[in-house]
Amino acid sequence: MPMVLLTCDKDIPEREKHIYLKAPDEDTRSFLPLANAPTIPGTLSERGCSFCGAKLVIGGVLKDTIQMIHGPVGCAYDTWHTKRYPSDNGHFQLKYVWSTDMKEPDVVFGGEKRLEASMHEAFEEMPNIKRMILYTTCPTALIGDDVKAVAKRVMAARPDVDIFTVECPGFAGVSQSKGHHVLNIGWVNEKVGTVEPTITSEYTINFIGDYNIQGDTDLLQQYWQALGIQVIAHFTGNANYDDLRGMHRAKLSVVNCARSAGYIANELKRQYGIPRLDIDSWGFNYMAEGIRKVCAFFGIEQKGEDLIASEYAKWKPKLDWYKEGLKGTRMAIWTGGPRLWHWTKAVEDDLGAEVVAMSSKFGHEEDFEKVIARGRDGTYYVDDGNELEFFEIIEAIKPEVIFTGPRVGEIVKKLHIPYINGHGYHNGPYMGFEGFINLARDMYNAVRNPLFKLARTDIRSTTTSELKEAV
Amino acid sequence: MTSPSVDDLFGYVQKRCLWQFFSRSWDRKENIEGILEKATQLLLEEPVTLTSPMDRLFHADAKILVADFREHFPAITTLGAEEVKSLLQSVKERLLDLTVTSSKNRELHQNLY
Repeated sequence: MPMVLLTCDKDIPEREKHIYLKAPDEDTRSFLPLANAPTIPGTLSERGCSFCGAKLVIGGVLKDTIQMIHGPVGCAYDTWHTKRYPSDNGHFQLKYVWSTDMKEPDVVFGGEKRLEASMHEAFEEMPNIKRMILYTTCPTALIGDDVKAVAKRVMAARPDVDIFTVECPGFAGVSQSKGHHVLNIGWVNEKVGTVEPTITSEYTINFIGDYNIQGDTDLLQQYWQALGIQVIAHFTGNANYDDLRGMHRAKLSVVNCARSAGYIANELKRQYGIPRLDIDSWGFNYMAEGIRKVCAFFGIEQKGEDLIASEYAKWKPKLDWYKEGLKGTRMAIWTGGPRLWHWTKAVEDDLGAEVVAMSSKFGHEEDFEKVIARGRDGTYYVDDGNELEFFEIIEAIKPEVIFTGPRVGEIVKKLHIPYINGHGYHNGPYMGFEGFINLARDMYNAVRNPLFKLARTDIRSTTTSELKEAV
Repeated sequence: MTSPSVDDLFGYVQKRCLWQFFSRSWDRKENIEGILEKATQLLLEEPVTLTSPMDRLFHADAKILVADFREHFPAITTLGAEEVKSLLQSVKERLLDLTVTSSKNRELHQNLY
């Protein structure tokens, strides 16, 4: 089956290169969706901006760091509080947001003075916080404010603070993916190697690409602790700024989200000789495999087997119960990129679900190679999908549940299809053994929810009809 | 018991293994060659070198891969040494073709990460 031109895309035929319907005996040598390419004019992209990729996804997770956003106030608000990544210090990073609140005169005459004053003000207001990430945004990048020079002046005036600058305005790339990239490479080049961590175990790892969404990091940390493995740095779930400066001392980089953080793992390998091990942290089978690999690297296999046995004893009966109820559920995954390939086989093997459509906002072609290798025949694989395409695909494949973000989720709810928050989760964590039970429970509750059936019924008549107000 | 085919093992690796899909062509090649070399040694019960961190990484991946091969394709244990070598060599060639040589991924050969 070649690439697909949907009916709704008849006026933007370039979209055909981004949508693939997998047929038996095909592989990615013949068909690979074009990805990480500029959004086509005429399509209503659901992508985020590059600044958002740096701040909301990675930097903003740090629990002891001021996130100074040099730009209009909306850039700060729109990248704050839309993801739930708690921390063990009272959720400092969720409580506060910082902005230089640029106005027209600052754009005309330059914003450096305002920035410098804002940075000092933030440190004055929060005297216990000594770390800051400073981000440029579209207007401050366009007017050429020299944020690195300002950061140097502030650090000179305050010798006990450390500041990292991320120069990645919203327009820097085609999606939020560029922000991941810029932050990763900037951090490894400027900050890694500037702090020596205290080593407490002969087994040390960096756990990369996990942002403690609803406690993912906290849950996995229990496993590493049980195995006697010291995590030098979680990149960046529940992490301190200085933890990430010591990443060069780990013996192994274990990577979950290869899309947002594969860059730093690659550079840690190139610059410091630290091997990179990619694992899947969602799903029973995958999590067990990941633990086995990490333990095999350190030669502590029996500890790994003991942990897996204990977790299986606790959670597997529950998984089996949910699998019985979810077998054959037709599911769509419309998230950022990596969760497509992390989840498609996990929900198939562990829960008996059938993933019938997947769409990625910012995945690269590498992500499509992975997901097409793992995914089913007859499934749609879409890059940078838009709402009309979603409606048309829903009509074609009739999913019973959709894992996606709240914005798309609210739309599909109007079609009386339940959605699960595939970014911030409904009731997470979703990683690890216990986490996958949470995912299964949320999915079960969604597809068994009688409200959707009731909402479809028109109580003014005796007929049941699908409401079409959303299309 | 039917002997596993190249299709069987290749298909299994495609669905399970993230190491074949690293970001750049040289990383993919290094992983595929390193892990399948160690997997061949493990299947043949030959001594495995574990001197460098990369050796230990490939060994960790290969160990899980070989355990899976033995579980899902038990007839692999009945093959002779030359058959095992030839089978894994063919799997390696197909993986390199799909993920490196014939890949349509436009980022594979970029010099920087």
